[in-house]
Amino acid sequence: MYDLIPHIVNGLTLGLLFALIALGFTLIVGVMEVINLAHGAFFALGAYFAVAVIGGSWFSGTEFGAWWLGLPLATRYVVALIFGPICAAIAGMVLELCLRPTYGKAPLYGLLLTFGAALVIEELIRVFWGTGEQSLTIPQTINGAFLLGGLIFSKYKFFAAAFAVLAIFLVWLLLERTPYGAIIKAGSHDSEMVRALGYDLSKLRLAVFAFGACLAGLAGITMAPIWGLRPHIGIDVVIPAFLIIVIGGVGSFWGAVAAAMLVGLSVGISGAYAPAWAMLSMYILLILVVGVRARGLLGRKSALEN
Amino acid sequence: MISLSDIPTKSGFPLTPAMCVFLVAVASAPFWLEAVGLYSYLGIEVAIWILYAMGFNLLFGYAGLHSFGHGAYIGIGAYAFGLFQQNVAVSLWGGLLAAILAATLAGALVATFVAHRRGIYFALMTIAFGQVFWFCAIKLRWLTGGEDGLLGIPRPDMVLGPLRVSLQDNFSLYWFAAGVLGLAVLGMSRLVNAPFGRVLQAIRQNEMRARFAGYDVWRMKWLVFTLSAAIAGLAGGIFAMAQESAYPDIMSLHQSGTIVMMVLVGGGLVSFWGPVLGVLIYFVARDVIGGVTETWLLWFGLMFVVMVMLRPEGAAGLAHVIRSRLARPKAAAPAERSA
Repeated sequence: MYDLIPHIVNGLTLGLLFALIALGFTLIVGVMEVINLAHGAFFALGAYFAVAVIGGSWFSGTEFGAWWLGLPLATRYVVALIFGPICAAIAGMVLELCLRPTYGKAPLYGLLLTFGAALVIEELIRVFWGTGEQSLTIPQTINGAFLLGGLIFSKYKFFAAAFAVLAIFLVWLLLERTPYGAIIKAGSHDSEMVRALGYDLSKLRLAVFAFGACLAGLAGITMAPIWGLRPHIGIDVVIPAFLIIVIGGVGSFWGAVAAAMLVGLSVGISGAYAPAWAMLSMYILLILVVGVRARGLLGRKSALEN
Repeated sequence: MISLSDIPTKSGFPLTPAMCVFLVAVASAPFWLEAVGLYSYLGIEVAIWILYAMGFNLLFGYAGLHSFGHGAYIGIGAYAFGLFQQNVAVSLWGGLLAAILAATLAGALVATFVAHRRGIYFALMTIAFGQVFWFCAIKLRWLTGGEDGLLGIPRPDMVLGPLRVSLQDNFSLYWFAAGVLGLAVLGMSRLVNAPFGRVLQAIRQNEMRARFAGYDVWRMKWLVFTLSAAIAGLAGGIFAMAQESAYPDIMSLHQSGTIVMMVLVGGGLVSFWGPVLGVLIYFVARDVIGGVTETWLLWFGLMFVVMVMLRPEGAAGLAHVIRSRLARPKAAAPAERSA
């Protein structure tokens, strides 16, 4: 049992990060009723922009570049942590504008359009950053390892987990304790009613898409030092995200968080016994959950079922 | 927007003008492929993908079941063909039978889980199952050779009674693939114009009404999923022969998405022949744009995005609209906006 502790800790960290990815996804699904296959692409974009900011490769050689690289890594990291998600959010807004002609049609078109967009963004990343593996350097303070009870833990994983908890808490605060959250939630229940009450639905959708993409970008920056950064990471990441959404129930905040923890734990613990098959456990979890309860753990009836 | 159901049923003999054009084009391809600057291997590849895409469109366009994990079945077909050659016997018919059987079994199993689903949930479940198969193909090293795949799959001779034809060169393999494709397309065109095809379309339009009309919707959906997996398996068997290998990449979400893109770009939602156009557009784009720039997928992806935004009926839908405009220059405009 004692041997399992590192794996459980690993699993919980992974679960929290999955939750961060899945939250943006579930927000978009809930309000827009669009399965956004480009969510992983925003994840990748956020991380790639962060790499560009930290490495300063765009303005190397200029005076500003020299001054920028002279700043401490921690400062550059914090700037990247803000800049990356903003870029992802802008990309998200562009995609939302492209999605407008598909509203009111079968949900298939949204799925297809975002699949195409994911393909385009991935290729753009290849063009601008190359096909090779990139690495996101992190400041010394959160790098390295520490000992606890005779076991070695990576400092960064704890930082990432704490960061994810903070982000999840802030999202919860936004959704549950502010008027904006009330509008967003109302939009996912009955968008016609929201419109009738005088709220601008197209602005709401734009904002929600930007916010979801921003969360994806944030998750990308947090995840990149653990998973590495490849152009096709978007596709690798979007699959766990939507498995989690389906397991947790489409559009449900706590469903997504619970499912993410469950998936993280099952991947972590099965990783202890059969590392090569760890990722399979989430598919098995999906088939088990959805086989028994079609709507997922905490899901309610959704228009997407038709 | 027009849809498949706007096309009247053609009962009886399946040799329509479009079918004749298609069969003539397939039969004559080796004689003009190289003249227009292409190569004979491309012909095989296109024939295989047309077979795969048309089988997929039974599910996607006719029944309206949007599977996003169909790459699994062409992959399973390819592996089954290769494993049969390597472990049982070097035999063309045996291998193809094994490919069809394996894909049918896998398809039937998945269909049992997903046949009562609709819409996006159906798509999500098919993605999940597709990923399970893809994952197994990568991880079952002893069976599938992992990421490298199965290498050195032979191209067995075709034995037809006393006849024995070698399929070693691309030219003869093309004839074989084209023959299989022609038979399969004749069969499929008969099928979609039969009551079965009509019921599939009824299910797409309104599943509940189809059920109330007394059709066993679950069984129909199960059947069309399994059938389309079987056709994908057949395509996979020939694909393994063409590539002389089988590898997991074809089962990935990317490739499963590619077949959806092909079918949609061509207009599988509005025409039986849509998938053919889509496959042709895809391969021409790959070879022509790919010859100019390495980032051809970027341009193809952009084209796809724009098409979903503006003309989701695809190339076949565009042709249909143009034809109806030419036929009725003034009356066409309102009719087209009605949907």
